[in-house]
Amino acid sequence: MAVLHAWRAARVTPLGELHSPPRVTAALLRLTVQVVLVASLWRGLYAATGTTGGLGRDQAVTYAVLAVLASRLRELDQYTGRDTVMQHMHYGTIVYWYLRPLPPQRYYALRSLGERLYGLAWALAGYAVCLPAGVVEPPGSAAVAGVFALSLLLGQWVLHYVMLVIDQLCFWTLRNGAALLILVFAQNLLSGVYAPLWFFPHWFVTMSGFLPFQATLSVPLSLYVGRIPLSEAAVQLAVQAAWVVALALFTRLLWRRAARRVISQGG
Amino acid sequence: MSMNALRIVWRITRLNFRAQLEYRAEFLMMIAIGAVWQVSVIVFATVLLTRFSGMGGWDSSDVLLIPATRMMAHGLFVLLLGRVHGLGRHIQEGKIDAYLLRPLPVHRQVQLDSFPTNAIGDLTVAAGLLAGALGRSHLDWTAGRITYLIAAILGGMLLEAALFTAVASASLRFPAADYWGNWLEELLGTFGSYPLNVLPKAVGGLLTYGLPLAFVAYFPAAVLTGHGHGTGAPYWLAAGSPLVGVLAYLGARLLWRWSLRHYTGVNG
Repeated sequence: MAVLHAWRAARVTPLGELHSPPRVTAALLRLTVQVVLVASLWRGLYAATGTTGGLGRDQAVTYAVLAVLASRLRELDQYTGRDTVMQHMHYGTIVYWYLRPLPPQRYYALRSLGERLYGLAWALAGYAVCLPAGVVEPPGSAAVAGVFALSLLLGQWVLHYVMLVIDQLCFWTLRNGAALLILVFAQNLLSGVYAPLWFFPHWFVTMSGFLPFQATLSVPLSLYVGRIPLSEAAVQLAVQAAWVVALALFTRLLWRRAARRVISQGG
Repeated sequence: MSMNALRIVWRITRLNFRAQLEYRAEFLMMIAIGAVWQVSVIVFATVLLTRFSGMGGWDSSDVLLIPATRMMAHGLFVLLLGRVHGLGRHIQEGKIDAYLLRPLPVHRQVQLDSFPTNAIGDLTVAAGLLAGALGRSHLDWTAGRITYLIAAILGGMLLEAALFTAVASASLRFPAADYWGNWLEELLGTFGSYPLNVLPKAVGGLLTYGLPLAFVAYFPAAVLTGHGHGTGAPYWLAAGSPLVGVLAYLGARLLWRWSLRHYTGVNG
């Protein structure tokens, strides 16, 4: 029974997407065009250059295309379904999260899980097309593939908590639109979505090492393309796991404090 | 627009600006967002320029003119015509139905919905980059070149406005079409900031004749820096980029008017 309830909560946003054909068509077209453009761009840039930033042409193309595919894991729109924390705070409906038999933190986690699984289906479908087409290279070995999968899982876990912190901000500030936009920018820049972090100056890479964003995407993709060797994988995975634990404890504290701020029907 | 209409626009804009000032933290954050978005474009362009010098046969000071032109055009678009972006939410909330009842054109009401605080950050960073690009440029900035650059920036603004107006027109029928607007913004930011001749011809053609991104900044910068004949498009077409912006905007406004006539609210 619990599994059934979990499934019902997890499928809310994916169902919303599937019932909106323009969104699915747009997502498909966007992913296809973005992959073609990104692959063309990096191939074009490497036409007159050898290895740079420790990345060869095929490594850079693979990194960039995988970054595009991974972006599908984050891009679901809860706003259209009017189920973001900000909207619930605005309309006062956040109180229902606290009146249901399902705790708000579990509801949020289940929604997030469903969204990420739906996004993963898109990313895997894209990968299944790109790999035989030669757009992306296969992982160097079975061990690399395994480490990459584990690192990607940890990275998505970190990203889930980071997004949660921004949503929890609404309990104090009511609105998080500006913070969310800054977060998306920071995540894109510091996780290597715009360009692999290896192309940035050394001080920039060092600075981003102190923030959780690098752990979300740059680490798993660098492991996949071989820019981080397997011998260094254990350290990187440990850092990712440390971020998961730290953010889990922090968000748990925030949930507890947030609950004290929600007043039902006049208190 | 009559003098009276201009006066109304000015008064509403002043009110909107004061409304934004009511929440100081949000006001400052919105300025920061505008700046941060533009900085992301600069970061991307700088990384590419540093790692891949001589991009597409262009000198790096010439390349810098592309993001500078595009960002100025984008900043002006956000300031003057940017409220068409994200119209789907207005439609979902039923605001359009209310606009239709008021004695002011719907398009003008959409633009006057709020003051775009982020445009302040957008334009500040863009002006800084443009000053930097002009300072590093080895070109002789004659009156003719400066006039063409201004025309190119205005044309780029109108072209961006045309693209977002077309998406907004689609949103009147399918509010979910807003999603295309987000993608458009991302594409313009990512692929509008460097010479498109680094891409394969087919892809470059797609970004010229499919999505006319090349006309925003790449073609004008190519004409100004003497690369106009190497763009893959006829020179007269590249040189006529500002005019393309004007024509595209006029076409988009006709599409908007047609779409609005066929708009059906949730109540039928």
